Amino acid sequence: MNLMKYKITRSITITAAAMGLVVMAGCASNKSTKSSSAAAKPAVWPLTIKDPAANESGAQIWAENCMRCHQLRSPSQYTPAQWGIIVQYMRLRAGLTGTQAKKVLAFLQSASAH
Amino acid sequence: MTQKRRVLISMAAALAIMPAAAAWADPAGGGADYQKLEHKYQQLQEQMATMAKQMSAMQKQQAALKASQAKAATTDTAAIDREVKRLYRRVMKDSQKISNLEPGNIQVLIAGDVNFQFQHVDGSASTFYADSSPMIQVRVDKNIFINTAFDFYTSAGAAGGSAADIGAANINYELNNYVTLGGGLVTSPIGGIVGQYNPAPWNRWLVDGSLEGALLPPNELGVWTRGGLPAPDNMGYLTYFLFVSNGPVLATTHDINGASYNNLGFGNWNPAAQNGKTVGGRFSYLPIPNIELGYSFEWSRPSADGSITTTNSLINAVDINTYYVNKKIDGLFRFRGGWTWDQVGQGIDSTGAFSLGGMSNGGQLEVAYQPSLCGIKYLDKMMAAFRYDRIDGPAAANFSNGASHEQRYSIGLDYWLHSNAVLKFEYEFDNLSNGLHGNDAMYVQFAVGI
Repeated sequence: MNLMKYKITRSITITAAAMGLVVMAGCASNKSTKSSSAAAKPAVWPLTIKDPAANESGAQIWAENCMRCHQLRSPSQYTPAQWGIIVQYMRLRAGLTGTQAKKVLAFLQSASAH
Repeated sequence: MTQKRRVLISMAAALAIMPAAAAWADPAGGGADYQKLEHKYQQLQEQMATMAKQMSAMQKQQAALKASQAKAATTDTAAIDREVKRLYRRVMKDSQKISNLEPGNIQVLIAGDVNFQFQHVDGSASTFYADSSPMIQVRVDKNIFINTAFDFYTSAGAAGGSAADIGAANINYELNNYVTLGGGLVTSPIGGIVGQYNPAPWNRWLVDGSLEGALLPPNELGVWTRGGLPAPDNMGYLTYFLFVSNGPVLATTHDINGASYNNLGFGNWNPAAQNGKTVGGRFSYLPIPNIELGYSFEWSRPSADGSITTTNSLINAVDINTYYVNKKIDGLFRFRGGWTWDQVGQGIDSTGAFSLGGMSNGGQLEVAYQPSLCGIKYLDKMMAAFRYDRIDGPAAANFSNGASHEQRYSIGLDYWLHSNAVLKFEYEFDNLSNGLHGNDAMYVQFAVGI
């Protein structure tokens, strides 16, 4: 039982440390997007994370990620405003980054409006 | 041969011929004709030099013209690109400002799913069943999101009737690109399948849930942080969901909160017995978007319904979720699998007459195939599904009928009328340990996701 407690305590400590790094990374990432001059400095992970979603289209992220758990819903099934709510919810469910969610939303709203 | 060369060769030939022609015309040499010819020769030489200069100048002009045209074209394209990007940023910024100024900035959506089904389970009367699970989703602003889910359904039993339940009531705040904080009642991430099935039943390929679900908490009531982030070196994505919640109840008799004796019961929303809480979470890795590999854990000091005062529990679970779409297989192939281990520690009853200890485990392997790209009408909307699922108890007393494990083979055929409407047929073969025959079941269900 003591060994089990030790393992659990160690797991929680490592998890908390990892979470701290993620929060720092998120804040550092936000800063770097606001200040272009920050890009001049070399980035060391995990203080700055380069999100590959920046190079992916919203349609691609939508098709590849949503399909994993359910059938793809047509963009025309909801209005652009409704997609705003749905994508905010699905970002949580699917564990998408903010960048990915924004790109998916832009695609769905654009396709919905047409 | 260029024009310039042709002119020069002609001139040279003329100059070579002229003295010879003059000598032939005047063998004596000298005289006025020779002077004329020499003069003419000099004039032609001058003309040739002038023409050569003019041609050179023209070539230079032509080259300069081409260079300037190319430069102009490059400059224009880059300038247009810059302008388009600038205008795009401006439009996006302004549209955001406008939407913030518009009334009705708080947006509400009613979603969820509705289904009805006919079921016949061995040992029970066949029955129709209906279920409606509306969700109210509120986007307070770009960072704050509220989700509430209900479940209204007909209940079994001689008296009949209906029942209501709550599936979610939570507030979420998007802290940054990778972190969201939340609190309330939320679908549990443990084991993966609870979340992947949700909203069930629209999102399930088979009507009945997996046995593994009995070992997994459906909800967590507490606080959490969740999100996703890119893996280093573009090696895919990672997701995480970590929480502190009320945790499960330890069942010391049969059918406590849906659990069997010596198992964990979930739905511990109002613990009366203990203050013990749960720490848990799930991490997943997606090397590519089509594949998700998950690991979950949940450690707790469960509240006991009896007089158990000291015990711990640990849930470990692994899961995989993948799909493949390709014309080579004429459609879509899906695979989900997972296994869960529930470890309950030693508990001591105040009377000293009761002890616990042991592990329950269970899992499922589920595949589905839909020939969505076969190009054959109706067939492209059909989905065949198969699942093997199993649960093992720690002792023979795990099930009320005395069996220590149960395994099922389920086959299903779905017809997708729409991306959010499905008609399902399922038959389930149920087997228990010790040669006992379980309760085979047949289901027909129609479900619509809103």
